Amino acid sequence: MKQILKFENVIKRYPNGVHALNGVSFEMKEGEFISVIGPSGSGKSTLLRTINKLITISEGTVVLDGEKISDKKGKALRSLRRKVGMIFQNYNLVYSLSVLQNVLHGRLGFMKGFKGIFGIYSEEDKKKALSLIKELGLEQFAYNRASDLSGGQKQRVGIARAIMQEPKLLLCDEPIASLDPSSAKTIMDLLKDMTSKRNIACIVNLHQLDVAMKYSTRIIGLSKGKIVFDDTPDKLTEEAIEKIYGTSYENLMLGGEKSEKEDSFNCA
Amino acid sequence: MENVIIEKKINKKIPVKCKNKSNFIPIFMISVAILTILSLFYLNIDWVKLFSRVPDMGHVFWQLGHLDFSKIDLIFSSLLETISIAVLSLLYSLVLGIIFGMFAARNIFKIKALSIFTQSFFTFLRAVPTPVWVLLMLVCLGMGPEAGVAGLCVHTTAFFTKSFAQSFESISDETIEALEATGAGRLSIFFNAIIPTALSQIVAWAGMRLETNFSECAILGMVGAGGIGFVISSSLKGYDYGTAGVAILLVFIIAYLIERMFVRIKRSIN
Repeated sequence: MKQILKFENVIKRYPNGVHALNGVSFEMKEGEFISVIGPSGSGKSTLLRTINKLITISEGTVVLDGEKISDKKGKALRSLRRKVGMIFQNYNLVYSLSVLQNVLHGRLGFMKGFKGIFGIYSEEDKKKALSLIKELGLEQFAYNRASDLSGGQKQRVGIARAIMQEPKLLLCDEPIASLDPSSAKTIMDLLKDMTSKRNIACIVNLHQLDVAMKYSTRIIGLSKGKIVFDDTPDKLTEEAIEKIYGTSYENLMLGGEKSEKEDSFNCA
Repeated sequence: MENVIIEKKINKKIPVKCKNKSNFIPIFMISVAILTILSLFYLNIDWVKLFSRVPDMGHVFWQLGHLDFSKIDLIFSSLLETISIAVLSLLYSLVLGIIFGMFAARNIFKIKALSIFTQSFFTFLRAVPTPVWVLLMLVCLGMGPEAGVAGLCVHTTAFFTKSFAQSFESISDETIEALEATGAGRLSIFFNAIIPTALSQIVAWAGMRLETNFSECAILGMVGAGGIGFVISSSLKGYDYGTAGVAILLVFIIAYLIERMFVRIKRSIN
């Protein structure tokens, strides 16, 4: 499998002295679905944003699809960013525009000059966007304002916008943190399905351990800006979890089947 | 301890104000009072004469009330001129205001020096009142509506630059970040995300400003920039109160209609 992303000893210091990333190194191959877990403030969001250089790193290198994105600027940076789709906890759509327009925003990076500035999309792009909207089950909302949708529907628009870029890598910053359990499952299923169908590598920041275990091919545990766990989900033992979150296993609120099974086992 | 405080206060009235209140407000009030007295002395206002002329005010308004429609064609043509000046200056300023507002907003190009320079330049333009700009333009461009349009544009553009920049800055950084992540350029983000989000605010500012520009136009006519103001001032000077009354009434009606129209437009946008 081809390598898509490589972190080499990446350090990020904020001006206020916080070390958000403290020597992070890892590699990612095509087709991987990585969950990044860790307590708040462990550097998950920073890690994700250094991949497409929304945040500039202080030291080290980030190599995206064979190119050092950490050195890129201006036009070269923008064309590299097109290879990376991103979805957010708060969806970050333009709510006064239609669902279709929001999905088409994924093409803006590809459009040059006048057409890009005024958002004059090609018929081909429009067809593609509509079929994507249909695939995500939002066809009856294509011409509604994005503000009219529910949380789960907004996140689906976010996914469609990212997929419109035809990315090689998809970054998801806590995609289900603001959703109800049912919408959360729909979104995770969609993410898994869409990325594996299109051979897009995917990195998801998560707070839900059970979700991470269920969907990912690999889990990275961050603690205080350092990778303290990097392996397949079945290797994520209680000790590893305790190391990531810096507290004993009993102090953690863990959803999902694993803990339920254990509870019933303890009762019996 | 508490008992001591209460007993002590028993003979006096209990205070209710904060212990360490700032004395800024009393100082401010006293200064205002002193300045008022000084201004009155400086201007040397003759209060007796002033009050003796108050009944004349009633007389003038009574005269204005005797509407005289004999010069209605002149009034209408000058009213149209005034409306055109207001609309044209609004349109030009809208375009200029959006462009300069883009430079002035800190979250679009993210160049601090550019925003600070643009903002301070337009603060300077805004500090000089519109009639002064129109007089300057009259000197440069000669008498007529062109000077009115140009003079109004200066102040209106300065006003729009500031208010649009504020509207643009109120858009969440996360939305901008989402489009940055797609690889879109700054101008592309501005026209596809920021303008659509700020549109209802832009319309609201434009409506407010059209009303102001229209009523300012009426003043501008008096300094020689054409329009209904010229009709009002010349007929007042010639004691032609009936004609002036019609013109003033029409100014009021148009201003009111503009306000109602924009209330409707705003409602349909939201």
